Amino acid sequence: MSTDASHEVRPVADSATGRAPGTIHEAGGQPGHKGGPRRKGLSERNRPLWMLIPGGVLMVIIIVLPLLLGIYMSVLNLDQYTLRKWVSAPFIGVENFVEAVTGSPLLHAVWLSVSYSLLAMVVTLPLGIAAAVATQNAFKGRAVIRSIFLIPYVLPSFVVATVWRTMLRPGGIVDGALGSVGIHTGLWLNGPQTFWTLVLVQIWASWPFIYLLALSGLQSVDHEVHEASALDGALWWNKLRYVVFPYLKGPLALAFLIGMLHHINNFTLPFVLFGVPAPADVEVLPILTYVTSFQSFRFGLSAAMAFVSLVLVAIPLFVYLRAVKLDDAETPGAKK
Amino acid sequence: MRFKSTTGLAAIVTVAALALTGCGSSSGNGGGSASSDGKVDGAGKTLSVLVNVSSQYPEQQKQWQSDIAAKFKTETGADVKFETFASANDELTRIQTSVVSGQGPDVYSLGTTFTPTAFSTKAFVTLTDDDWKKVGGKDRFNPAALGISGPDKDHQVGIPFVSRPFVMAYNKDLLAAAGIDKPATTWDELAAQAKKMTKGDTYGLATGYKDSFDPWKFIWAMSVQAGNPLVDGSKLKMDDPAVKKAYETYFGWLTNDKIVDPASVGWSNSNAVAAFASGKAGYLMMTTATSIPTLDKSAIAGKYAYTLMPTVAPGETQSKSDGDAASILSGDNLVVADYSKQQDLAFAYIKLITSKDEQLNYQKTFGDLPANAEALASLTDPKLKPMADAAAKSKATPFTGAWGDIQLALLNVTVQSVPDLAAGKVDESALDQRIKDAQNKGQASLDRASKG
Repeated sequence: MSTDASHEVRPVADSATGRAPGTIHEAGGQPGHKGGPRRKGLSERNRPLWMLIPGGVLMVIIIVLPLLLGIYMSVLNLDQYTLRKWVSAPFIGVENFVEAVTGSPLLHAVWLSVSYSLLAMVVTLPLGIAAAVATQNAFKGRAVIRSIFLIPYVLPSFVVATVWRTMLRPGGIVDGALGSVGIHTGLWLNGPQTFWTLVLVQIWASWPFIYLLALSGLQSVDHEVHEASALDGALWWNKLRYVVFPYLKGPLALAFLIGMLHHINNFTLPFVLFGVPAPADVEVLPILTYVTSFQSFRFGLSAAMAFVSLVLVAIPLFVYLRAVKLDDAETPGAKK
Repeated sequence: MRFKSTTGLAAIVTVAALALTGCGSSSGNGGGSASSDGKVDGAGKTLSVLVNVSSQYPEQQKQWQSDIAAKFKTETGADVKFETFASANDELTRIQTSVVSGQGPDVYSLGTTFTPTAFSTKAFVTLTDDDWKKVGGKDRFNPAALGISGPDKDHQVGIPFVSRPFVMAYNKDLLAAAGIDKPATTWDELAAQAKKMTKGDTYGLATGYKDSFDPWKFIWAMSVQAGNPLVDGSKLKMDDPAVKKAYETYFGWLTNDKIVDPASVGWSNSNAVAAFASGKAGYLMMTTATSIPTLDKSAIAGKYAYTLMPTVAPGETQSKSDGDAASILSGDNLVVADYSKQQDLAFAYIKLITSKDEQLNYQKTFGDLPANAEALASLTDPKLKPMADAAAKSKATPFTGAWGDIQLALLNVTVQSVPDLAAGKVDESALDQRIKDAQNKGQASLDRASKG
């Protein structure tokens, strides 16, 4: 697998050097290098780093600058009264941070965000894997099933949330259906149960993502591996457990990571489902930050909240990234 | 290579920066100057106006815009470009970016309750006597409509455009069947009448507890009518017994009186309109002239009428507010951006659309009441009579930059109480706690407002 990956990279590098030979000559000043063996084409010096520029510039403009701006805002007393001349808004140091942590529901919001994301993730993982395994082997109607599985994933979040909100209304379809079999659940869109509503809808909307990545992992299992395990007489569970799952480690680690980040950052779902002000049990991070910014106009405070949550999310993320060594994700099954 | 890429990067950054500043400096092209006869010469200029999109009458709105643009062109020689926003959030975002960047539309249409917040950003023109003359004089407007244009008479940013006062509708047949000869004028009477009409799946009142605005309007109204306008200088008075009484009354319709459909804990205003339109409710609370088209096409067409909402607080026998508070002062104000380089042109536009004829024309098309006093007085449609009454008896919500937060806090008490409501009982201590939280939040916001 790893050799495959480098094969893919090489033509790109070659075409890059091919397109701009003059540049290489002037800057690198190493004649004769081009005619050298292919292996050397990937030396440090000739990496087409300039190709990072377009993406890099966009990153700087779209992510880094706003991030720095956000950090700057978080030390200003920036609200509707000072917005006009925001650059000269009064500097108040860490006051926003102190208020965010001690005087606002920020920590509660972090707890809600993380716990809801984890719960949704823990449920969607087996769902996605099971669906991927079930549709791995060809059978009649597989294409249809696979397409149906993807519906929740391709629907815009806004649509998902609107449809669920309509279904979960008091006296709506869900209450009607459950009521007809004698289950009376109470409110879905207000009160303590809202947390579970959010988890439920998030699961519905995001399990196909896990399914997709698990499927891609399964596709990468070489045919020979299946044959070999069949020859060894491995039963289906053993085969899954010891042969197939190791291949899924990489894609699923990636899915877990992206999924968690996506859930934690999900604004549309809770916003459309519950509206603002949100019931206290679903006042997740994005909602809290939004309300602080755009309903109360406390831009400084909300910037501080956003920054605190960025740090809180970044720490486990960093540890996790180190632990799974995501760089190796394209070599599934390499560590056995 | 390394050197090259650094210069390349620098070049791209520079280009990007230039492009960004390029966008920034494209506005501002002289202002339409007023000549001696008061006419504004705007030839070759374009006025940019931000208005909310009318979801109810999209076609008519486009037509109206192109008609007005043509008239404005004949009058001043300038073009008008309309930009629309779909929701309050959209509008906020537009205003925020404009305020920060100092560019954007010249004229904004703002909801009345948002005017204090807009005022607090200091990004809009505070009208001088001279400015008022340019829009046709202050006395052309319904005096009540000016109530939320600014903190006092000398500092006003909002020019009233239309009024959208809140009234209630009642089902004449249901009232008559219950032996009620005229609609209630106090909240206590309202509950008593509603009880008489509640039978089977027909309820006395239709209202939505999950609406994003209605709940705070009830609480505000009942509290003002009990003599507590919520904000007293720099003090928030949500911990006043009148506020608690208001919540208890409002929630009590569901929990004690049982005069509203239990499903209304999940309703917004439009669900309540639908319930009323199907003939299943005696009163439709907190509605405006915009419900006319829906109701006229419904099962109860011709069987309903509008009237003022009660003006006497629960448990009282007469209003304790100075002047009846039949409705919040509701509608749209126009404000002119102070970064605008064509303010005279903006005033000329406002003068045009607040003239008697244009206001009547607008009323016919969209149903919103004129802010122009003469136009308002000339309305003859009996259906509009109670609305005009309510417009005159409207009372402005407190003029403070903290109002947005206070409104949110008021609403939040209801949002967090909905589970209790659904269960049929709002626990008193829980309610006390929620009101206390709201008081603290709102007070903190007021404190910042008085510093700001």
